[in-house]
Amino acid sequence: MTLIHESHSDTAAPLRETAIQAHGIEMAYQVGDHAFKALKGIDLEIQTGDIELLMGPSGSGKTTLLSILGGILTPTAGEITLLGQKITGLSRRRLAKFRLQNIGFIFQGFNLFPALTAAENIEATLNLKGIRGRAAKKTALKLLKQVDLADKRHNLPRDLSGGQKQRVAIARALAGNPRLILADEPTAALDSQIGHTIMELLRRLAQEEGCTVLMVTHDPRIQDIADRVVYVEDGLIIPQQPANFSAPKPEVQYP
Amino acid sequence: MVSIARKNLFQDLPRFIVAQAGIMFAVGLVTIQVGLLNGFTRSSTLLIENAEADIWIASKELQHLDLTLPLKYKILTQAKAVQGVERAEALIAQSTVWRYQTEQIAPIRIIGFDPKSQLFHPHPILEGNLEQINQPYSIFIDSLDLKQLDVQGVGNQSEIGSFKGKVVGLTKGIRSIVSSPYVFTSLPNAVAYLNSPIASPQKNPPVPAPLTENNLITFVLVKARPGEDIQGLKARLAKALPDTRILTQSELTELTQKHWQQSTGVGYILGLGAVVGIIVGTVVVGQILYSSVTDHLKEFGTMKAMGSSDWFIYRIILEQALWMAILGYLPGMGLCLSLGAWTMNVQAIQILIKPLTAAGVFLVTVTMCSGAAVFAIQKVTRLDAALVFKS
Repeated sequence: MTLIHESHSDTAAPLRETAIQAHGIEMAYQVGDHAFKALKGIDLEIQTGDIELLMGPSGSGKTTLLSILGGILTPTAGEITLLGQKITGLSRRRLAKFRLQNIGFIFQGFNLFPALTAAENIEATLNLKGIRGRAAKKTALKLLKQVDLADKRHNLPRDLSGGQKQRVAIARALAGNPRLILADEPTAALDSQIGHTIMELLRRLAQEEGCTVLMVTHDPRIQDIADRVVYVEDGLIIPQQPANFSAPKPEVQYP
Repeated sequence: MVSIARKNLFQDLPRFIVAQAGIMFAVGLVTIQVGLLNGFTRSSTLLIENAEADIWIASKELQHLDLTLPLKYKILTQAKAVQGVERAEALIAQSTVWRYQTEQIAPIRIIGFDPKSQLFHPHPILEGNLEQINQPYSIFIDSLDLKQLDVQGVGNQSEIGSFKGKVVGLTKGIRSIVSSPYVFTSLPNAVAYLNSPIASPQKNPPVPAPLTENNLITFVLVKARPGEDIQGLKARLAKALPDTRILTQSELTELTQKHWQQSTGVGYILGLGAVVGIIVGTVVVGQILYSSVTDHLKEFGTMKAMGSSDWFIYRIILEQALWMAILGYLPGMGLCLSLGAWTMNVQAIQILIKPLTAAGVFLVTVTMCSGAAVFAIQKVTRLDAALVFKS
């Protein structure tokens, strides 16, 4: 395990379960005649309930790592255990079922269904998880209340601001009580103040729900919200922030 | 459950309307082609539908309803004598010439029968009393043929062969696409018309005489006694009347319809039109579903990333296809029914949409739309869920 930066670490905390355990993760692509290694042997361990950031320059391999840890991409080498279940070697179908039951996703572009209202976007995810009818409606409303958007439940995504869309996306990620949330640049499309509010919200809800959060980000302003920051460069985890890491400059400094 | 399919479909209303127009076109094309084939087929045996015989006796040379040689009238008497025959009546169905006021001529088909007949009665009657055809040179024609025969209506007179023909009544809708206009009259009138010299009209034609044994008729219609085995009676008639061809009413219907379908190639032509309709519909629906899936690729990718099974996504696409089928079929069929009624009234061409045809076209529409969904399903199957992490 490579611990680079601890913002909220508590050394006196009781021993917790490991939510994510990755060992020797490699990912190679064939680009024309050349083999390209996006990940060159990653070892990573994340404890249950932590909020951890994956940071690094563009093309460093963070999103690939996130996709692999989420069971969406299969690594060319290495082993991954999520929530006590070894996922490397699982069939596509079983992996999908595992994701459905255990992982919530938040995306940079929100990825909401444009034809569905805020509530329906959450209901559709609940439907996917087998929760239907009145139970799905009730849960969707409860989640929207949690992200303070109950009054916008009938709005289509096009009628919501960027921050509101991401709050719906967070509510959707929390639908069905996942134990792990994977987020890809969740604040990239938002201005700094809204980005910070969203992160505070995510942190609060994750703690309330007992979720582990792993987030890819470029945004250094949200480091203080995380328990730990892991830096990735050239497909490897490095012990400190890379010298050439150029994160976008915040428009507003978070308090 | 949230219907993503329905929401996706109605999200872009103009595109949805274009798609539905395409499906309506396909439904219309298939229905009209099949309806025309049904109408054509039915029209070729419309005359048989006006009969209530169990068996038809014709010349042994009979090819179909409209192509046969005459029989002698005495066959009627012989048929009546066969055991199991409850009733037998003569029917004349032969072609002759209609003379317009302008001295032009046109082919017609004289249908001679006993107006008190129990086995043949043209229906529905629009105007007049059928018994009036017992009057010399009195005829019924069909209201749909008035224009073609250049007649205003009941009371008008024209010429058939060299004798006059006074219109004393009208039938409604007894018109065959494959035959000349029908002119209904009594047996003696029919014989007189068919024997009349073609050369020039006669001012004082003789009163038609009752038929004698040597007069020529076309068919003998036979009604079997109640409970009689029809095939057994057929065999007995064949034995008693060796130079004839004996067919049940349904056999004659089938023989005639098959002839017209095969000899004219109409089944092939109209079937081809229906296939073109299906292809057009499949392409239109396929394109719409494919572009809809392409537009929503990120959402489908998101669902896959979240752990949705492929089948869950396929169901969305298939539901979308089903909605398109239903919402394209209903107005399409409505349009065809209206068009059918209009062509019947204006052109007397029947587009016969039977309940079975309507059900069949619905099945074809659903199959067409589901088939078209295959392209979209393939795209989703190949979709890489990792796409969702690309902004």
